[in-house]
Amino acid sequence: MTSRGTASRFLKSVLQNGVGRYVCQIKRISLVFSKDAQTSLGAREFIEDKVVDFAKQNPGIVVYVTPQRCRIPKIIEEYLNGTVKEEPINSKTSEEITQLIKKLTSQSGLEVIRIRKPIHTDSPSIQGQWHPFTNRPPSLRVQGIQSESKAQGAAPK
Amino acid sequence: MASGFLVNRGLSPLGVHFQHVCRNVLLTQTREKKRWMKSYMLLMERKKKLEGPPPPKPRSHQPNWDYHAEVQAFGCRLHETFSMDLLKTAFVNPCYIQSEEVNRRELGVDREAVALNLKDNQKLSEQGAEFSQSYLADCCRGAYPNLPPEGVNAIVQYLAGTEIVCHVAKNLAVEDLTLSAEFPVPNEVLQKTFFAVVGALLESSEPQKAGLFIRDFLMTQLIGKDLFELWAVINPMGLLVEELTKRNLSPPEPRITRQAGVSTVLPLHFVGLYSDKKLMAEGPGETILAAEEEAARVALRRIYGYTENRRPWDYTRPREDTAAAQAISSN
Repeated sequence: MTSRGTASRFLKSVLQNGVGRYVCQIKRISLVFSKDAQTSLGAREFIEDKVVDFAKQNPGIVVYVTPQRCRIPKIIEEYLNGTVKEEPINSKTSEEITQLIKKLTSQSGLEVIRIRKPIHTDSPSIQGQWHPFTNRPPSLRVQGIQSESKAQGAAPK
Repeated sequence: MASGFLVNRGLSPLGVHFQHVCRNVLLTQTREKKRWMKSYMLLMERKKKLEGPPPPKPRSHQPNWDYHAEVQAFGCRLHETFSMDLLKTAFVNPCYIQSEEVNRRELGVDREAVALNLKDNQKLSEQGAEFSQSYLADCCRGAYPNLPPEGVNAIVQYLAGTEIVCHVAKNLAVEDLTLSAEFPVPNEVLQKTFFAVVGALLESSEPQKAGLFIRDFLMTQLIGKDLFELWAVINPMGLLVEELTKRNLSPPEPRITRQAGVSTVLPLHFVGLYSDKKLMAEGPGETILAAEEEAARVALRRIYGYTENRRPWDYTRPREDTAAAQAISSN
């Protein structure tokens, strides 16, 4: 579909993350895999080798490992803003799973849809937003705006 | 179902297949298209439509939940060191303790076992609330020295009010960890829990760290907000006159500076406020009165230093402090 037909959003962060301190936006990762199926081979290797290191490097993420009979192994991640996403790791190698998890840790829970502008600002204008009357000489003689300190310290010149 | 073997291979008279799971257990299955399936599914859909979505369940009642691990991760995620006992106490609300005791009594547990060994977060919550309000007020007064006490109070009430605190708490996973009687957690309870977490941080580490926590999560909510959205001023012109008399400046005189489309459906008037024949502020409006009020608000914003193009809040300050401390300690 075209960009008008699909969802889109503006660039924003959850709770102004990064302005004060940076908080990793994932709170929980659950690895659902099967002990015997062929498709969970990568998941099993990841759990044997890399999951403990990952959990130690990210003490703010709780990692749950659930072996259950399933056809497709999944990663269920929960973000701080409440979004829960399931990613199938069907027939992925251990390295691909590490890459995927690394990508997820740098995401926030906002939807992965088209971002309308790659920029966002809360102070769009420093010198004042232009309007048709800026820089237009008025019919009456008007003095420019003096700063507060000059007005206060209006000592005889 | 890979173990066991099929008894009936090939065409069976009733379309029924038998499978031995072990010697004494026989499973039957019909693999054809089931005629009852459609009506059953339609009935279930109708029932779902009538009843609506199922009530939300707290995260602790869903699979994969380890309370101790979650509480530890909460502390690490925010880059803060909490003492575990204090943090766990901070999440326990008095309503939870009461409801748990009632449940235990109903289940017929002994009288001694009914009383839970949990302390509630009342004291921590009060400490946290008091500290937050005083810290926020100090911050505002330091950053905007010209702001009068009503303005400072308005900003602090907005930041420490239910709406903002609950928004912050929900996005920091405090709601998952709160122990309360009802779910979804009511806003007041969530606010008290958040302040109890602040109180726990205050007791576990220094007040400076708690101050930084409040700065990083509550002060950031002021970004993009205008002063008069937080502080409802009914008579900006009167307030402006007061401010100017306090500073010994002459009272403001409103004059029309620009006009456009006066006799149309969308008139535009610009009214400028002059003190001592010097322009203080200019504001637009649809009617002349509205333009005058807007000009008064613009003048107040300039006096209080809360304009849109002011210098943004400095979030790097503790790094300079630690750098200074390192410099001092190395010398």
